[in-house]
Amino acid sequence: MALPLTYHWRNLFVRKTTTVLTVLVITSVVSVFAYMLGFSESLQHSLSVARDPHKLIVLKSGATAESNSAIPVDEYNKLSQVTNVARDEATGQVLVSPEMMVQVSLPRLRDGGRTNANVAVRGVTLDAFRIHPNIRPLGRIFSTAEREVIVGLAAAQQFAGLQIGDTINLGYGADRAYKVVGHFSADGGPMESEIWGYLPSLMNSYNRTMYSSANLRLADGSDARQIIGQIEGPAIQLAAQTEEEYWESQSRLMKVYLFVAYLLVAIMSLAAVFAIANTMFSVVAGRSRELAMLRTIGFSSAQILLGLVIEAVMLALVGGMLGCVACWAWLQAVGNTKDMFGATTFTTMAFKIQMTPLLIAKALGLVVVVGVIGALVPALRAARMQVVTALREP
Amino acid sequence: MSTVDIELRKVRKVYFKDRLEIPVLEGLDLTIAAGEFVVLMGPSGSGKSTLLHLIGGLDSATGGSVRVGDAHLEKMSERERTAWRSRHVGFIFQMYHLVPVLTAAQNVELPLLLFSMSSSQRKERVRTALEVVGLSDRADHRPNQLSGGQEQRVAIARAIVTDPDVILADEPTGDLDAKTSEEILELLNLLNSEFGKTILMVTHDPRAASHGQRTVHLDKGVLDREELNPARPRGAAAMVS
Repeated sequence: MALPLTYHWRNLFVRKTTTVLTVLVITSVVSVFAYMLGFSESLQHSLSVARDPHKLIVLKSGATAESNSAIPVDEYNKLSQVTNVARDEATGQVLVSPEMMVQVSLPRLRDGGRTNANVAVRGVTLDAFRIHPNIRPLGRIFSTAEREVIVGLAAAQQFAGLQIGDTINLGYGADRAYKVVGHFSADGGPMESEIWGYLPSLMNSYNRTMYSSANLRLADGSDARQIIGQIEGPAIQLAAQTEEEYWESQSRLMKVYLFVAYLLVAIMSLAAVFAIANTMFSVVAGRSRELAMLRTIGFSSAQILLGLVIEAVMLALVGGMLGCVACWAWLQAVGNTKDMFGATTFTTMAFKIQMTPLLIAKALGLVVVVGVIGALVPALRAARMQVVTALREP
Repeated sequence: MSTVDIELRKVRKVYFKDRLEIPVLEGLDLTIAAGEFVVLMGPSGSGKSTLLHLIGGLDSATGGSVRVGDAHLEKMSERERTAWRSRHVGFIFQMYHLVPVLTAAQNVELPLLLFSMSSSQRKERVRTALEVVGLSDRADHRPNQLSGGQEQRVAIARAIVTDPDVILADEPTGDLDAKTSEEILELLNLLNSEFGKTILMVTHDPRAASHGQRTVHLDKGVLDREELNPARPRGAAAMVS
């Protein structure tokens, strides 16, 4: 049987200053880690939602995103020739959603409107709800006869003036007030950060004559590569990619941010490992006679090693739990919805960072690893100590 | 009652410091009968504590043999000696070496954690050990709430809680006043006479030595002389070979 946990727990409070400092280091590491992990998971979730393998996004050839794509109507009309895509059951026509995307600058709620962010405004027809089946209006949708918009939930929570009944100015000219008449969910995907309105109305407001993109769905059992080949071929000469490929390319910069953030967490974790190692070295030095006594009465080297690792893990877990609490408190204080700027879309994607049980488990898993690594060298030293020499220490 | 005797034959112990050979014990022969209370005396550096450590299996001899009961310690690995020690030897130190963050009862319980024993069995053993040393009413006290004498009693309870054959005491009264020392020594006498424990005690104090049945003097790593204590005769044979 190992040493009792009470023994390890109470020992944490013997060297209060060292313990508190180490806990603070771990708390800061874990709070940053939990935040980054939450951010990363929200991003991953958004991107995983936007991975419909049966949906194709068509852009102007050479364009990298909807924001820099312009498809003239005559070129768009050629999409009616594409085969093996979903068709309207009633008319037999190719089911395609012409879309226009622009940006509107809106104040962020989280800083009281001190800063603005570019929010995507998407002009769509009613067919868009068939092409994008994960878009679920909550309440009514925009009227085709009025200047009305519906707003994605993430955008509504993140930016000012997007509650039902609010009015926002979109486009140029005098009559540009659009009324928010509803919200919609996109299962947490990137479109949930957008504002949707009726395509002809928005094109008129923005003086646009071309679409930004066209979206269509594959017919059951059809091959995306074959259809992309048709769209990019000499007859149509537009560019197409699956939704998954599109958002993968759009999130590249975000992934760079995340990489840098995780690098920071890795460096901080290394500092935490050293903090724990330092604490455990001082524990071993300060308790060498006590540890020697335990060896004397029959505890094995392995039990001493395990005991010290348990002690370090306890220390790390205290810091880890405080780190999770600190992260949660921070999210409560500043709001858990964040946004990130897309590299090529020039629009903002909003996320909701959630402290899920899985995220907490991952953060605590990190501190357990940090604790074990930090304790290993001092614990090995303690386990290998010369009992007789340690007993004689003053 | 304990029936374990101790036999050392031509025991050598050499330490190395900066590649320099430092002999501590040089061909020592000693026999301690089962149930005997032997006192080890000698000047500093004479090898008293080293001898204690060898008999307790804390260290291994450079040469010769150390037998405690059926255990031939020179043939055992460190791991085997550790396991053997937990069952057969109780240690008492000059500085008590109690764990400051545990209560008296928890300190006494420590060696029992190495046994397959239920919590209630352990608690019963701890209660009995604390009763023997007269500290039942201090079970929940932490070391810093106890006097030096009480701390040493807790250490003695810890040493006897596993019912070991042999008790090794390294200057157990070295840090105590005369009155408390006397109480501790009486307690050791009790463990020897009533419970039949074989006791080997290192001390510099002649008054402490008077509690043993035999005093063995070491000097420069060899047996210098031995004295039987006529005030505490012992029935069983106890001899220096």
